[in-house]
Amino acid sequence: MNIIETKQLSRRYGRTEALNGLDLAVPEGSMFGLLGPNGAGKTTTIKLLMNLLAPTSGTARVLGVDSRKLGPAEMAAIGYVSENQQLPVWMTVEGFIGYCRPLYPTWDLALEGTLLDQFELPLDRKLKHLSRGMLMKAALLVSMAYRPRLLVLDEPFSGLDPLTRDEFVRGLLEVSTVGEWTILVSSHDIEEIERLCDWIGVIDSGRLQSAEATDSLLERHRRVEVAGLPPSGGTRVMPGSWIDREESAGLVRFVDSGYAGEDAERLYRETFPGGAVSVRPMALREIFIAQARAQRAIRKGAAA
Amino acid sequence: MLPFTVELKPGIPIANQILYAVKKAVVSGQMAAGTRFPSVRQLSQELRINPNTAHKIAMQLVAEGVLTTTPGVGSVVAEHRPAEPRERAELLGGTVEQLVVEAKNLGVPLEDVQSSVDAHWRRLGGDSK
Repeated sequence: MNIIETKQLSRRYGRTEALNGLDLAVPEGSMFGLLGPNGAGKTTTIKLLMNLLAPTSGTARVLGVDSRKLGPAEMAAIGYVSENQQLPVWMTVEGFIGYCRPLYPTWDLALEGTLLDQFELPLDRKLKHLSRGMLMKAALLVSMAYRPRLLVLDEPFSGLDPLTRDEFVRGLLEVSTVGEWTILVSSHDIEEIERLCDWIGVIDSGRLQSAEATDSLLERHRRVEVAGLPPSGGTRVMPGSWIDREESAGLVRFVDSGYAGEDAERLYRETFPGGAVSVRPMALREIFIAQARAQRAIRKGAAA
Repeated sequence: MLPFTVELKPGIPIANQILYAVKKAVVSGQMAAGTRFPSVRQLSQELRINPNTAHKIAMQLVAEGVLTTTPGVGSVVAEHRPAEPRERAELLGGTVEQLVVEAKNLGVPLEDVQSSVDAHWRRLGGDSK
């Protein structure tokens, strides 16, 4: 089941198309990373999902309910932490937690205690005197302590020092048993998303470029290099799934975006008889760069 | 605390880095046969990785014979077992080739590479088998 589902979700600001026909499905129980550069449409997407913005067209369903009709019952099952969130900064940490506690029938005191220990928050300090990292941890605590079915984090890592980031992630994992809840996290930090998320959606220029389980994304991409090729007369036929190709005398390099184990490796040897084939797995960053280059090459080809 | 050390670096798939770190700890004797292997939950928290990734890593280590699982007890480091022909071929083909390429590129003579291999071999395993 999908805990979030959008259909052709779009939003304009004046003439600017911030989000353009987004079809997104977030499976229940996943840690879903929404990845994209600044200005790609991540925050707009999340604001539309949280009913903080109305779509210009299209629909979003969250927990099975139209985002425009999300009420108190649904909001009590959703946790939301944003980098630009308005918090009651005149309250102390203790006061803030005490203020949130009665709002949620499912509030878990034991979990509150665990997170307090984990985050080492100064209870008697006012929110306005907290560092950015501390503030994010306080916001995370009150969004997790009622064990929401869906936790939405908008750019939670930006501006956090490495240690705080580490504590933040640990806090998140400390209480996450596989499949217990769904986490949607937006970020432009590829390495963080790669570690944390088992699903990855890539958004750029207001459009969803891809969405896939991290495992299958990593599993189907390989960097292939063939060296020592004898000079060949004709041109070789390569499948369309071999992207980001480069060729020079005796050397071919490409990314196989449809890698399938030994069968694929047999095909490399058949396509390049006499060459020395090396195949290696790729990290997420490298995959995205290869995909982006391939996209650009296609656009260039279409324009020519 | 984890019984092996790994510092995750960008650019190499996370699972591969962790699999390597575990195997290194096993061959070097840092994790002897019978040592308890951390639970999926512990792996996930200590390494700050997705629980599913941690699960996949544990499964792979079992599949490769590095770990054995006992119901109710969890995973422990397995007794050493001989490599499959395919694994041997992979190591002696690809990985050794990489070493040779780097060495030739840097102009390191063969005897230096061999003595360095010997030294690492002794450091990590002790005997010459």
